[in-house]
Amino acid sequence: MEVRRKFVQIEHKKWVLASLIVGLLLLLPMFFLFTKLFQVPSFDFFYLWDTLLLDYSFNTFYLILITSVFAIIFGVMPAWFVSNYDFKFRNFFDLVLYLPLAIPTYIMSFTYSDLLSYTGPLQFFLRKNLPDVAPYFNNDYLQIEVLGVLLGLALYPYVYTALRVSFSLIGSSYIDVAKNLGLSDVKMFFKVVLPLSKPALFSGLFLVVMEVLNEYGAVKYFGVNTYTAGIFRAWFSMGSENTAIQLACLLILLVGFILILERMTQKQSKFYYQTNTKQKPLTIPKLSTRFAIYMSCSVPFFLGFLIPLIYILNNSIQQFMMVDFSRLFTLSFNSIKVSFIASVFIILIALFFLYVEKISKLKLNTTITNITSLGYVIPGAVIGLAVILLFTQFPLFNNHLLVGSFFVLIYAYVFRFLAVGKSPIKSSLDKQPKAFEDTSKVLGVSSFKALRTIHLPLNKMALVIAFIVTFIDLLKELPITLILRPFNFDTLATQTYEFAVEEMLKASSIYSLMIIVIGSVLLILLKYITNKQIHAFRSF
Amino acid sequence: MKKLIYITAVILLFSSCSNNTKTSNEVNLYSQRHYDVDKMLFERFEELTGVKVNVVKANADELLERLKNEGENSPADLFVSVDAGKLHKATELGLLQKISNSSILDNISDDLEDKNGYWVPMTYRSRILVYSKERVKANELSTYSDLIDEKWKNRILVRSSSNAYNQALLSSIVANKGSEAASEWASKLVSNFARDPKGSDRDQVKAIAAGQGDVAIVNSYYIGLLLSSDDEEQFKAGEAVGVFFPNQGEGESGAHINISGIGLTQHAKNKENALKLIEFLTGVEAQTTYSNTSFEYAVNPNAKHSDIVSIWGDFRRDTLDLNLLGVHRAKAIEIFDNSGWK
Repeated sequence: MEVRRKFVQIEHKKWVLASLIVGLLLLLPMFFLFTKLFQVPSFDFFYLWDTLLLDYSFNTFYLILITSVFAIIFGVMPAWFVSNYDFKFRNFFDLVLYLPLAIPTYIMSFTYSDLLSYTGPLQFFLRKNLPDVAPYFNNDYLQIEVLGVLLGLALYPYVYTALRVSFSLIGSSYIDVAKNLGLSDVKMFFKVVLPLSKPALFSGLFLVVMEVLNEYGAVKYFGVNTYTAGIFRAWFSMGSENTAIQLACLLILLVGFILILERMTQKQSKFYYQTNTKQKPLTIPKLSTRFAIYMSCSVPFFLGFLIPLIYILNNSIQQFMMVDFSRLFTLSFNSIKVSFIASVFIILIALFFLYVEKISKLKLNTTITNITSLGYVIPGAVIGLAVILLFTQFPLFNNHLLVGSFFVLIYAYVFRFLAVGKSPIKSSLDKQPKAFEDTSKVLGVSSFKALRTIHLPLNKMALVIAFIVTFIDLLKELPITLILRPFNFDTLATQTYEFAVEEMLKASSIYSLMIIVIGSVLLILLKYITNKQIHAFRSF
Repeated sequence: MKKLIYITAVILLFSSCSNNTKTSNEVNLYSQRHYDVDKMLFERFEELTGVKVNVVKANADELLERLKNEGENSPADLFVSVDAGKLHKATELGLLQKISNSSILDNISDDLEDKNGYWVPMTYRSRILVYSKERVKANELSTYSDLIDEKWKNRILVRSSSNAYNQALLSSIVANKGSEAASEWASKLVSNFARDPKGSDRDQVKAIAAGQGDVAIVNSYYIGLLLSSDDEEQFKAGEAVGVFFPNQGEGESGAHINISGIGLTQHAKNKENALKLIEFLTGVEAQTTYSNTSFEYAVNPNAKHSDIVSIWGDFRRDTLDLNLLGVHRAKAIEIFDNSGWK
């Protein structure tokens, strides 16, 4: 017994060591950023600090607030209705409510500002047909509040997805008890259901907030100066990349601090609710409820997906004769290629980290892999900069030119999006009983064999979900690709952006359409898989 | 068998990652410009000379960062920017080498050349005033300085100060009139704004058409693009405004211009091809293509302006040393921030 335990420990040591090495390799860009943090801040830093940062931070909070409120409005109610009520088109809505995730935030914002602008179709139509009404619509739509709503439309699916799963898993016993105590539907929702779903809501909102923090294209266009805009003001306008890095580091520290705080409070109030109590059968809604259902489900779908899609589709058709199809094909292939390769690496590394975390008791590697997740909060261009510094100044690499190779591009993608791939795998692994490891240990099965024969098949679905989610994010990725790409390498996202930024929205439409189509197909696939999982869980 | 499949898959993955095979007859560009016309001209160049043009496109500062850190290993032979300020920055960082070939310099109007000889202009554009034909008479306009007059209260439209074109304009004012006058100009102009700065140059023109303001500061070629747009509403917006070149009076500096320019990198490995490309881009054929497609002005005096651009007539341009647009950049940013120009 003694011998076996020692053997097991050594076996794990290898895994832990490997995980530490991979983790540290992925932390290198962060390391390069933080070495700059401890350099004496330049004049520019204090200058920004004194003049603009308060204003920029306020804008950031305000934008996050509006976006979150609208993400909640658009996400929570449909998730509740779809999970609990039986109504016509329920399955349809359940499918399409995810789709805005396929539209990058900058395309959403550019599309709407064009749609609503003075020369856009809405005002044109009104001027022609309803000249009395037209002046009321002739507004300046480039406002922070409008941007918040648009970002809410683009990002609410994060909230919807998280809550949809959570709502479906709440057993009927809670709801029955609440009803027996005489709570109205509305009261029950706020007093029982929402508190139970708080962790899910927060995890969805967290992603929304991260996306808003990272957003630069739309924010710049709308003239809303956020913290990220401050980072780029330091770099692009003042030419001080050190200040930009220092500001980015402060952002990382702040988000890291919030995450730790959140984890601590979560630990304190950690409670488990049984998910496998009897499922509540779907309710047939009353007439008034039915109205609320259709409103809350169709508004986000129409505004967040259908209208932009139709507009982009219409523009593409108008441009159809001028489309260079071989280029469209090349760019689609490029996008799919890099997204695919990076997603595969991300999934493998995420699985590896999480598995080691599970089998070892060592805190150190958990901490390191958790820090790698913070790559998600760093603005893409700053990651690009960090990776350039790493691959030109780190002693091992500095004699060869690696920047501009696919290897470095993929490395930067992995650094940025590891967190996205990790979270679905983590929640799946967490659900598995510890008994699996113990049994395989007792049976003398090697850790690798256990991973391959037990965990891989059991978590297959989670891996596929993680793959799709990362893939879609990579498909939309812009700033890292711009700064690190090899010669003559364009993706759908870079081409869309290049046209859009030159104010040639029509020429960009076919490329954005392609992003949306590929993303939508994958999201529909994702939906199909998650549905199957919910069903499997229910019959468990 | 399964292992074999895995191994081939991994090899395939990596091989698809490796760079395209390099031909030696090539030239490598880091470019901030991403206009279709550039691609067209590069293809034409390849057709004529057999030299392949490879391009990485990104923001100027990002490209400079890449160039700087890559050092001797950098594959880039040429750096292209749409702002003389960034070319000046590249020179300051020691990233460029001098170009003295007469076959290139002879192509270019003397006053547009880099006084230090490090970069070569490819096109230029003016930052002009456009005004509502309905609500403003052309003779009410005169200079950039005049825009701070009371009569323009709540009527001026312009985009954000994070935009390089505005930064270059203010830098030129600092250079021409000193920083105090520039500060005064900026803060008074802000108080005349019709709305907070936002959107693109095109959006400022649309805002005039929508009646949200009366005078906008924009780059000349955007009007050309609007007037050549196949979208009827955009065309109408272009038609609703008049074009005015400021500072044309006697003793005035002339209208502010900026260039798109190209520089030869310090460690260029395909120097000969790079110079050939510059010569081609500044030649009459390419210059005519530029002015006809992107409505920029040609730097080669022998190239004709496009019809749309010609209608606006000739104008006197500010002959300021364009490197000063980079020299005074930091000051300009500070002035923007203090004046509240978002």
